[in-house]
Amino acid sequence: MILNPVDTILSLVLLSVLFAFGASRVPGLIKVIAFQGIVVSIVPFFIGHEMALGGTVFTIATLIIRGIIIPMSIYIAIKKVAIKREVEPIVGFHASLLFGLGLIVASTYISRELNIPSISDFTLLFPTAIALLVTGMFLLIARRNAIAMVIGYIMMENGIYLIGTTISVRARHIVEFGILLDILAGVMIMAIILQNIKQTFDDVDTANLRTLKE
Amino acid sequence: MVEIVFLTPFITGILAFFLPKAVGRSFLVGTGTVHLCLSLLLWKNRPEAFFSNYFAVTPEGLLSLLVISLLFFLISIYTVSYLEESSIKSENIFTGSMLLFLSTMTMVTLSDHIMVMWIAIEATTLASAPLIFTYRTPAALEATWKYVLICSVGIAMALLGSVFITLAMDIGNVNAPLSFSALTEVAKEINPTWLKAGFVFILVGYGTKMGLAPMHTWLPDAHSEAPSPASALLSGVLLNCAYLGIFKTNKIMHAAGLGDFSGTILMVFGLMSIIAAATFILKQNEYKRMLAYSSIENMGIIAFGTGIGGIGVYGAVICLIHHSLIKSSLFLSSGNILLGYGDRFIKNTGDMVRRMPKTFIAFFGGFAGISGFPPLGIFIGEMFIIVGAFRTGHYVAAGIFIFSLCVIFAGFANQVMKISFDDYSNEDSDEKTTFKEKASMVWPQFILLLTSLILCFYMPDTLYQTIIDAVNAIGGGL
Repeated sequence: MILNPVDTILSLVLLSVLFAFGASRVPGLIKVIAFQGIVVSIVPFFIGHEMALGGTVFTIATLIIRGIIIPMSIYIAIKKVAIKREVEPIVGFHASLLFGLGLIVASTYISRELNIPSISDFTLLFPTAIALLVTGMFLLIARRNAIAMVIGYIMMENGIYLIGTTISVRARHIVEFGILLDILAGVMIMAIILQNIKQTFDDVDTANLRTLKE
Repeated sequence: MVEIVFLTPFITGILAFFLPKAVGRSFLVGTGTVHLCLSLLLWKNRPEAFFSNYFAVTPEGLLSLLVISLLFFLISIYTVSYLEESSIKSENIFTGSMLLFLSTMTMVTLSDHIMVMWIAIEATTLASAPLIFTYRTPAALEATWKYVLICSVGIAMALLGSVFITLAMDIGNVNAPLSFSALTEVAKEINPTWLKAGFVFILVGYGTKMGLAPMHTWLPDAHSEAPSPASALLSGVLLNCAYLGIFKTNKIMHAAGLGDFSGTILMVFGLMSIIAAATFILKQNEYKRMLAYSSIENMGIIAFGTGIGGIGVYGAVICLIHHSLIKSSLFLSSGNILLGYGDRFIKNTGDMVRRMPKTFIAFFGGFAGISGFPPLGIFIGEMFIIVGAFRTGHYVAAGIFIFSLCVIFAGFANQVMKISFDDYSNEDSDEKTTFKEKASMVWPQFILLLTSLILCFYMPDTLYQTIIDAVNAIGGGL
């Protein structure tokens, strides 16, 4: 089987997913989402749906926002306020990695079963999207550092963007608009909140946020 | 014309951020009044939207819109007095966010396009997050963090669901606009497998926002940490908005002949929410959290009723309307209790019947209404749902439903009795400084309760017809 360019770069994304499972420090995770952000925004160019001028502008805007602005702003945030760099795992790194491997196998199997006609030429597209989604959710659940959680959320959105932009032309239009708005606003608000967590607790460890419970 | 209804609060909301306090307060009441008038006009005329691909006036949307409008108007009157009594630091942000919140919720009720609905529901999260953070305490921060994070994940799931629906359209070779009304017409041709997947993701996504268990964990925190007028809005109308998203998607499912599938899932989520509420309400020691769990219970009842279909859907809509009216009145009363006792724990309150008689009447009346005393509104709604469950042969589900309601009633009653009649032991509080019950801080609750009471005995024909129109689409009716 000859891999086409899309599958080649997506295989790198799958590797970066594994790296995210094993990453112990926030800067590493930031690099991962920057890379994934760039890849998921350029993939639509290779899929072969015809793309109007508006679509191209949107894609480039997404590329800049996902690949550069968001990672940079998180990076500046952790540098400026001297936030802890460790991700503080709830699930250990070995277990995380094992989960990651299992996830990739499972997502490949599932997408083979589903067999969506519009993207059947690209073997790795759907598995990567599922892997990104689940990895994002895993980071949200299994990491205690607030920034690692935000990164998990962004990774999840990357996964949705990858599915949305490639699955059909119609879906691409909605995802482009929806996600741009969402991610901008979400990150801004989360940044403000992080700022406040910092001021209130002197740290962004969400273990401090465990007083309200049943 | 239709768009004006949500543009008005949007503009006044933006302005309120920059204007001084006093102006902001008058904006709140002013916008509430204008909004109510506009909604009534909309109800009467039912015009076409200017952007008819994206917005439409639907019966279910109108019902929610009218409830939102009425509630906001009364809450805004209460809020002005509440702001005078309590010490909120950045009032501009509070009033501005309240108005933006109103605007986004109105947009939810009027949207017909799947994506516009999604954007509007997302916008409600953004507009209401500052409201929860108003007091700037660590607990408020935690509640806001949980709210934003959990609801963002939920909303992302709903987006994925929407993407799956477009995929279902592509596979079925359907060429229609992505609006709920257009999709309902062509639902038969849509690929059922992916439509089901889309529905499940949308249900989980908007269900997070609606407070269905097990995605409800943000709700008690957010509702208890927000200032009471904001809690009243969150509980009274925001949950309805999320329900509207599920309702409209369910409409497509019914038109596609997949009503049984969606009904079963809704019933399961509904029962889980009721059971979760019953488990946690028994040992609640804060009154606002108790009210929040009661909201989860009611959302569960509504989802359960919608899932049953037939007469149950009618019951669910009745519950929806009465829950909004009664629960917002309860949250406003809880604001009075908080101002009166300065404490959110039940054990530090007591003897409300003598210390705050008017609030007591409002609170106790609200309790009677929400826990389903016959012949009040919630009771009628629940009766319809139970009858519907028996008719369709869901005996076990109906049994669990009734049992949980009894448990919730017992837990709720126990706490309300403590607040109302227990001795109040705090001796060092000076009797003279006790909270004065201003007319503007009790009458909104009375009017809400009265509206609910009147609706039990007399329902205007136009309202009845609108409810029937709304529920017919998902196989409901009397």
